[in-house]
Amino acid sequence: MLEFRTRGYQGYAVKYSPFFDNRIAVAASANYGLVGNGRLYILELTPQGIQALKSYPTQDALYDVTHSEAHSFHVLTSSGDGSLRLYDSSLAPEFPIATFQEHSREAFSCSWNLTSKATFASSSWDGSVKIWNPERQQSLLTLPTHSCTYSTQWNPHTDGMLSAVCSDSHLRVWDLRTPASASNHLTMQIPIHSAPFSGGVGKLQPTFPPSEALTHDWNKYRSTIVATAGVDRIIRTFDIRQPKGPLQMLQGHGYAVRKVAWSPHLPDLLLSASYDMTCRVWTDGGDHGGQARELGSMGRHTEFATGVDWCLFGSEGWAASCGWDERVCVWDVRSFMHQ
Amino acid sequence: MAQGKRAVQERLYSPRALLTCPAPNKAQERLSQVSSHLGGSPESDSKSSILNKSPDDVVVTCALRTPFTKGGKGLFKDTAAADLLALTLKNLLERSRIDPNLVEDIATGCVLAPGGGATEYRAAALAAGFPVTTAVKSLNRQCSSGLQACVDIANAIKAGMIDIGIGSGVESMSSQYGPGAVTEFSDLLENHLEAANCKVPMGVLSEQMAKDRHISRADQDAFAASSYQKALKAQQAGLFDEEIAPVTVQYTDPKTGEDKTVTVSKDDGVRPGITAESLGKIRAAFAKDGSIHAGNASQVSDGAAAVLLMKRSTAERLGQPVLGKFVAASVVGVPPLLMGIGPWKAIPVALGKAGVSKDDVDIYEINEAFASQAVWCVKELGLPLEKVNPKGGAIAFGHPLGCTGARQVSTLFTELKRTGKKIGVTSMCVGTGM
Repeated sequence: MLEFRTRGYQGYAVKYSPFFDNRIAVAASANYGLVGNGRLYILELTPQGIQALKSYPTQDALYDVTHSEAHSFHVLTSSGDGSLRLYDSSLAPEFPIATFQEHSREAFSCSWNLTSKATFASSSWDGSVKIWNPERQQSLLTLPTHSCTYSTQWNPHTDGMLSAVCSDSHLRVWDLRTPASASNHLTMQIPIHSAPFSGGVGKLQPTFPPSEALTHDWNKYRSTIVATAGVDRIIRTFDIRQPKGPLQMLQGHGYAVRKVAWSPHLPDLLLSASYDMTCRVWTDGGDHGGQARELGSMGRHTEFATGVDWCLFGSEGWAASCGWDERVCVWDVRSFMHQ
Repeated sequence: MAQGKRAVQERLYSPRALLTCPAPNKAQERLSQVSSHLGGSPESDSKSSILNKSPDDVVVTCALRTPFTKGGKGLFKDTAAADLLALTLKNLLERSRIDPNLVEDIATGCVLAPGGGATEYRAAALAAGFPVTTAVKSLNRQCSSGLQACVDIANAIKAGMIDIGIGSGVESMSSQYGPGAVTEFSDLLENHLEAANCKVPMGVLSEQMAKDRHISRADQDAFAASSYQKALKAQQAGLFDEEIAPVTVQYTDPKTGEDKTVTVSKDDGVRPGITAESLGKIRAAFAKDGSIHAGNASQVSDGAAAVLLMKRSTAERLGQPVLGKFVAASVVGVPPLLMGIGPWKAIPVALGKAGVSKDDVDIYEINEAFASQAVWCVKELGLPLEKVNPKGGAIAFGHPLGCTGARQVSTLFTELKRTGKKIGVTSMCVGTGM
């Protein structure tokens, strides 16, 4: 396990670079993101441990970070003042090369388009998801969600399909290939709290009250599978071909789940980070009806674990996590799996 | 875990964070957001979760009723139940400005109408301006029929059977109240002890229950008098004006025999000058040593009520104002002779389903079939009296059997909206024990 301290700043998000196997971006904020500055760290894994290659101060708290899929040195952040900032870590100056300011409230997530690579999306407390092109100051499209939207993600398989989860306990899926209409490209609106799909007929179905959804991620191998999680501590998987209810429910976290991330190497494996200070690794059983269960837990963080991400390169299973304990941990998931 | 929680509390409330804060409101909002992620106990979780707004909530966007008038002598005495329903549905269409073509089903609760009134009510919906594509059913769960109608529609919306529906209730006790409402019991029923109890008249069994459960006449009269006084106060303050939609009907003056067209806009059962002492003088109706009399039981009346329900997402799409949402409903059977204890059994079940405690509830709208059973239920449940029926109840303005449930829904939502309160419960006891 390797560690780096983001002294004075509490981590909110961590992302491995899709271009370099040793580069990690971390979004962090002073005063737990409540008030004050933020800081973007570009970290490098070296034989001497983790070194800060660059760090960029920002006016307001940072909540999310993503790497450009088109340019290996570009990193995008989303901030408490609603702005999105694009940095080029190959250049000297300490300020962003572009700023995108339209959200009227905290921008909680940003995600780069994984298929066309020319656009990115952001989501905000102002109840909207916006789609942008880095070469234009104005957003290309605004998709209303009407409630605080904590997370937006592009589908990694289908160009023009993106999704978001909101505080209203719904997973929304947009398909930008649909014609412009009153529905704003919204093709699906799945209640996350609905009863599980495979409950069986005649059995008493448990019911779940709606609760805020904080994070979600598309499976990297099974193009219709999404995992969601949030305040009710349950990680659910959905198949958008069968939007009636969740396929699997993974329970175990003691507090709200802040982040889920599917493995880039295995189709059934996902990582989660939670307010209960642990990161956990889970299998959803895969497509062939295996058992969905927790495989292991990493408890090194001493405060809320807020971000976790898989390394895309090298031997399968390396991950980075960050938290309010001002620590970035780089660890091998396999060493935390139950035997 | 406890450590984590303490840590966040320390962090969240650290003076450093707040003192250096340039925009205190923003920081405060972020702080309460993070706190809400952590939640507290499961109870407080579910309280906030039933207050959450979600697109698949079933919501009420319009609720109204006719005034209630006294059975046999009020201004509605010559108006058929179906006409009252038609006028109420018409008022609902006008007030909500909903396109009638979008309404897929209307459920109407009624108790006394022969054949359940199913034929008349379908005709009434057509006469009110609904197209033939709007389906209509009538249903009978005795006194709770109107409430059951609203619940049925909410469930149909939840299950995806319909998108928009109306729960309603109507009763013309002037024309349909009487011994004809129940057929003779067969030997099979008569010879079964509990079954035979189903036809014991309400007044008689309530008298028995008051005796068995030691509900004193003084308590009953005090409760009834307060119902009258609350209703009078509410009427004078105009608090019923929002839920009451006036209707114009034909009325034959019993003295002159003259036919008149009158517009009715006020409950005629509400009257001034009623105190526990004045009620104390009335002779008991069902037993010489009894405690129940005309002044502390619900009035025989005529009236109709209707509630428009749909999903929140539909309401937002159509620009309908959301009055509140339907969370959970329950129904529980009790012994026929103890039908008055129904709310005591059913309210905790509904609260359990919604995951809230009785203290979380701001207003209870509990039907006052008899002061005896209402007082007993309120006391046994330990509800504070000021939360129960803040605008009075059936003792003061009447209980047109099938209509009252829908009336309670409309009264409850109107009062919650007016007072800015959040959570309401409505319940009623049901003849034959439910």
